[in-house]
Amino acid sequence: MGGHSNWPEWIYVGVVIALMCWVGAEAWEAERLIEHFPEDAKVIKVWGQQWFWTFEHEDGTKEIGELHVEAGKAYKFEIMSKDVIHSFNIHDYVVLLDAVPGKVTTVWFAPDKPGVHDIQCREYCGLIHYNMRGTLYVEEPSS
Amino acid sequence: MKRIVGLFLVLAVLVVLPAMDAAFAAGAEPGEYLDRRVVIWNLFFKMMTVAFVVGAVVSGTIIWQCWRFRESHPKAKPTAYEGTDW
Repeated sequence: MGGHSNWPEWIYVGVVIALMCWVGAEAWEAERLIEHFPEDAKVIKVWGQQWFWTFEHEDGTKEIGELHVEAGKAYKFEIMSKDVIHSFNIHDYVVLLDAVPGKVTTVWFAPDKPGVHDIQCREYCGLIHYNMRGTLYVEEPSS
Repeated sequence: MKRIVGLFLVLAVLVVLPAMDAAFAAGAEPGEYLDRRVVIWNLFFKMMTVAFVVGAVVSGTIIWQCWRFRESHPKAKPTAYEGTDW
């Protein structure tokens, strides 16, 4: 057909491909940033079970239902489940990761200032799921 | 065809290669202290901006096409497919 041009279509296809690459790369980069934990991150083991959270610090200290950390330090959570799938969530710090039986999943965060925050299970795990809560206490740094 | 290849080359140089470069820039070295809230919400707002811009452009184009190529448009003329018996 006279006067017809395919250029707009090709430009459209090119722009869509470029946009998708850019969106993918941005997401990939964000994921890379938040998945690489600092070398000096302290490991905290987290166990989810119906219907409470247990935490174990590097020195062996255990806490149930509450977790004490220090501001300005990085913590790497090794999250495990003793029964069904749970999801470990500290909403205020955008920490959210599933606790899967038979697997260890990891996520890290670095609280920046003292405060008290909620910990909540975010995967329906049974009758008292709604009350599978904990409290995060971010304290002043000791040193 | 050469022009199309050229267009994609230009797009690759301008957008795709820098984006891939950013994604692969650092390897598996230890991470740095950062506020994950900032990283995650930044990504969210960027993606929302892209989504709304694309949505606006696509829906705007469709609306313009419907308006421009309606039969009652002053400049409307039948195409070869529609015949000329108007």
